Amino acid sequence: MRVGIDVGGTFTDFVLLDDAGGRIETYKCLTTPRDPSDAIEAGLHALEAQAPGCIAGLEEVIHGTTLVINAIIERKGACTGLITTQGFRDVLELGREIRYAAYDVFAEMPEPLVPRQRRLEVNERLRADGSVLKPLDEAEARAVARALKNLRVESVAVCLLNSFENPAHEQAVKRIVAEELPGASVSISYEVLPQIREYERTSTTVTNAYVKPLTEKYLRRLEARLAGIGFHGRLFIMLSSGGVTSAGTAAEFPVRIIESGPTAAVIAGQYFSHLFELPEMFCFDMGGTTAKSCLIQGGVAGIVPTFEVGRVQRFMKGSGLTIQVPVVDLMEIGAGGGSIARRSKLGTLQVGPDSAGAEPGPICYGRGGTLPTVTDADLLLGYLDAEYFLGGTMKLDLEGAKRGIEEHVAKPLGVPFMEAVWGIHDLINETMAAAAKTHIAERGGNPHVVTVAAFGGAGPVHAWGLARKLGAPRLIVPPNAGVGSALGFFTAPRAFDLVRSHKVPLASADFPEIEKLFHTLETEGERTLRRAGAEGRIEFARSIDARFIGQGSETNLAVPTGDFATLDRNDLRRRFDAEYERLYGRTYPESPVEFVNFNVRASLPVKLLSLPKLARRPNAKAADAIKGQRRAYSGLAHEFISHTVYDRYRLAPGVDFGGPAIVEERESTVIVGEDGKARVDEYGFLWIESLGSGSSVPE
Amino acid sequence: MALGIRNLVKRLPPEAFRPGDIYITNDPWALAGHLNDVCVLSPIFHRGRLVAFTACILHHSDIGGRVSSDNHDVFEEGLFIPLVKLYDGGQLNQGVLDMIRANVRTPEQVNGDIRSQIAANHVCAEQIAKMLEEYRLESLDELADEIISRTEASLRESIARAPSGVYRAEGRIEQTEGSPDVLIKCEVTIAGSDIQVDLTGSSPQVDWSGNVVYNFTYAYVHMAVKSIFDSELPNNDGTAAPITLVAPEGTVVNCRHPAAVAARMQIGHFLTEIIYRALADALPHRVVAASGGTPATMQVFYGRRGSGEPFHAVLIRGGGMGAGAARDGEGSFIFPANGANTPVEILESDSPLIVERRELLPGTGGAGKCRGALGRREVFRVPDDQYAPLPPVQLAMQSGRFRLPAEGLFGGEPGAKAQFLVNGKSGNPYGLTRLKPGDVVVMDSAGGGGYGNPRERDPAAHARDLAEGKVKLGSDSLVPE
Repeated sequence: MRVGIDVGGTFTDFVLLDDAGGRIETYKCLTTPRDPSDAIEAGLHALEAQAPGCIAGLEEVIHGTTLVINAIIERKGACTGLITTQGFRDVLELGREIRYAAYDVFAEMPEPLVPRQRRLEVNERLRADGSVLKPLDEAEARAVARALKNLRVESVAVCLLNSFENPAHEQAVKRIVAEELPGASVSISYEVLPQIREYERTSTTVTNAYVKPLTEKYLRRLEARLAGIGFHGRLFIMLSSGGVTSAGTAAEFPVRIIESGPTAAVIAGQYFSHLFELPEMFCFDMGGTTAKSCLIQGGVAGIVPTFEVGRVQRFMKGSGLTIQVPVVDLMEIGAGGGSIARRSKLGTLQVGPDSAGAEPGPICYGRGGTLPTVTDADLLLGYLDAEYFLGGTMKLDLEGAKRGIEEHVAKPLGVPFMEAVWGIHDLINETMAAAAKTHIAERGGNPHVVTVAAFGGAGPVHAWGLARKLGAPRLIVPPNAGVGSALGFFTAPRAFDLVRSHKVPLASADFPEIEKLFHTLETEGERTLRRAGAEGRIEFARSIDARFIGQGSETNLAVPTGDFATLDRNDLRRRFDAEYERLYGRTYPESPVEFVNFNVRASLPVKLLSLPKLARRPNAKAADAIKGQRRAYSGLAHEFISHTVYDRYRLAPGVDFGGPAIVEERESTVIVGEDGKARVDEYGFLWIESLGSGSSVPE
Repeated sequence: MALGIRNLVKRLPPEAFRPGDIYITNDPWALAGHLNDVCVLSPIFHRGRLVAFTACILHHSDIGGRVSSDNHDVFEEGLFIPLVKLYDGGQLNQGVLDMIRANVRTPEQVNGDIRSQIAANHVCAEQIAKMLEEYRLESLDELADEIISRTEASLRESIARAPSGVYRAEGRIEQTEGSPDVLIKCEVTIAGSDIQVDLTGSSPQVDWSGNVVYNFTYAYVHMAVKSIFDSELPNNDGTAAPITLVAPEGTVVNCRHPAAVAARMQIGHFLTEIIYRALADALPHRVVAASGGTPATMQVFYGRRGSGEPFHAVLIRGGGMGAGAARDGEGSFIFPANGANTPVEILESDSPLIVERRELLPGTGGAGKCRGALGRREVFRVPDDQYAPLPPVQLAMQSGRFRLPAEGLFGGEPGAKAQFLVNGKSGNPYGLTRLKPGDVVVMDSAGGGGYGNPRERDPAAHARDLAEGKVKLGSDSLVPE
């Protein structure tokens, strides 16, 4: 038996999977921010009550957590010091010297995690090729370590210029720091991620150092508590890159688990796309505050080398701290059930990107919210049932929502009430569709062939409208959409991604030397996995980040495993051009190409997951699951029409029904438009296809 | 750009455009102010009707000519492409392309860049047509009018809330050693929801490449107005409508052909801060003091490695932002333009140069109730060991603030000046510098101006500056040693 535990900002979700029995149990409780392991222990006890004996029988606990990201956002990490090359203490503060808001002269920049007085320099210098220009002054390094000790530094980051080509100086500094500050933890850039570009690498190393002590402490405590309640299996932590790793490795490199939580949905999406053989899938997870999406091509989600955390302006690219570690290619935009609707400065309707969140939440929650939100509109459109929200455990305030939209949207805009209500729903769909189209196009995909997979509380409510705007032919909604994403914990491979920069032109690269480099990375990857207790054959996937000489960014190119020295230079060049052309529509075969980063993913084969199937019911009809009829708004007819309401839990495998329909389950509601057709498969997934053609058309 | 394109397409009757036509030009007076900015312009047709134009301007790193700021006319500065058809009804005009390729040093790169511009226009045209299809529109006119008029109304509302009046400021901009400073006279009139910027009385055009065409002047006047009144508005004709610009022809802010224009940012970028200064009394909370990142600074190092292999490294770098009424200047940036620096590790792998320092310069931010941001130092060494390049290594640059610092506002002090040293001695930043192995170049960018009386500075903020080493202990000196 395995259990996946996702500690989110508001809720901690549990999914217990009995591989042998093909059974799933779920549980949800409030997160305990002071010590998240409180909720974990309580939740496991609750699961034990649901499935007696489950804790003792557990082989694996797979854990995703927002602990690290919250510590960064709330600035609750360790007192951190930085040791860097003489002349470069301000790299962390200078950043890339670009203003993220071109017209805003008051745009605030993120405060560096290490202030200037704790950024100290050592005399040493490596050249770009890794050779030593100035040897490390060890006596000075020792003095610097002592100075950090006097500054009460608890965690030390070491990032020296050009160290990705030669770790000797960083390793020496690490040894000295360990001697001088035996209690402090140390993060050196060569071990965190040896990639070219000093600002990005320094920022990443510093962030790792900043969260390392608290992550170590938390994971140690969690292991002890799990052991205390009789758990004898192994603890795994979800990585931002979509693999899982041991608690030990996560504690060493906490910067790799920042996006631990949201990644699970993507991994679940990957699994579904394999299971159903859907080559192009667009995962769409819409919650209260944001919508997160990801394109899965050929069963694989993209990995990007860098992302930002702790943005000063949440949806402004460039306003956060840069983290250069592999991360699943997620797109996040400010579109959720709590997104606030208002009249914009231009006198038009604006929805989001700010959100009423869970507190105070939408007006209809009746918890003090006064600004109308997407959820308020969804309620008034008839998509949500005021009496059956969260399975009826929360009554919704219809009148309040009405007043809010009338007062804050319809009146200020001077439009009829229903136009305002529908406008809110339709505009947030439009916002998501526009972002999705860009995301898909940038990855060389085509929105007209993707299958949309909807997750999250608000996802299934908006998926129909989104799919139409994308021109996507098909939509799937897994059962328990909230839990659907947590299934990703069970399908994530035990994997570790390694990167090493080595900038060299393709034309003159020494291929046997590159083979050595790849081999070193693979050995290191194997060691990391073995240290975490991995048995069995380890698989390696190699790729190179390459670019035209002089270009500012790189294109990832998968390369075959096996001796690199035997590869054909021209063939590699052709592969690069093919990939570049796929992404950007054209290529420039006459422009020389260079290699920048060499990547290896070391992984164990994924343990197969067999999704539990629904019990077959001969002669079952969709009509058996009908709860009644409800008038809900049709975006096509522009009026309220009668929708058939189905109870998702009573829908038997194999049945089908047509729109207009509303399918209700505890945590979410699925909308099927009048020209849609839905089918329930053996796993309880809803498959919805539109009979209409393409996108919705306003009057 | 919008201004330029509108005037360009008016030169031809609408019926002159056919599907598949693609025009190209780099006329500095018609568009973006110097020859490197090449524009590719395409008409967009929908159901056989001309519905819009799309244009893409890209700064080409090479357009031929003599690359330096001390040219005397535009003919020296490279290839001038008037508005010509690159494609005629879908057919490539090979002669035009050959002409361009024959006049530049890196024909492959220029060709690749032009092709990427064509691709960008193609994508834009395709998406516009798709949108028209999706919303069943015959043309964009009604939609565009709606967006533009709402934007205009919003900006006007914001301008109308400012106190009407006539506000004046002057700016002095340094030139090459021995030449008098350039004077910009600026009179800003806010009348209801209209704003007029009159630059009458500014210096006549100059004998080097700092001249600014009307469009470029307009762009940085627009930047000032938009950033003051509403930085979040979308960019369209609506944000331009309330602004009137008066810039007499023959002055440095509206130069006549064939003035040299390549380094137009060295003067043009100052327009934004001069307008801020003019409006500071009327709108003290909306403006910032002058910035060390004005004008944008660019250095180009080029030469050959020891192996004979050529290198060419273009670097831009920021200076300290000016302070505002409520906040210290924050960050080292180019302002009012924008752009990212080149990582040291990338520069060192692309060239033989060694960067010895890239760091903030304590004490360079102008003192004030709010302090200007610090300037920064970068030190380059040309290696003289086995990694030495072949002499000479050429260094060309565009920069400023060597003699005249970024001024403060309301009693705030100026930031420290920029500095350019070669082997410890002042170099000539306005000429081409020849370096040899062993040479060390120091580039200090200017600090930002302070805002308000330094005596009113919050002691806690000052203590923090001291702890971080951003100001110097017991010293009012703003000049770095």
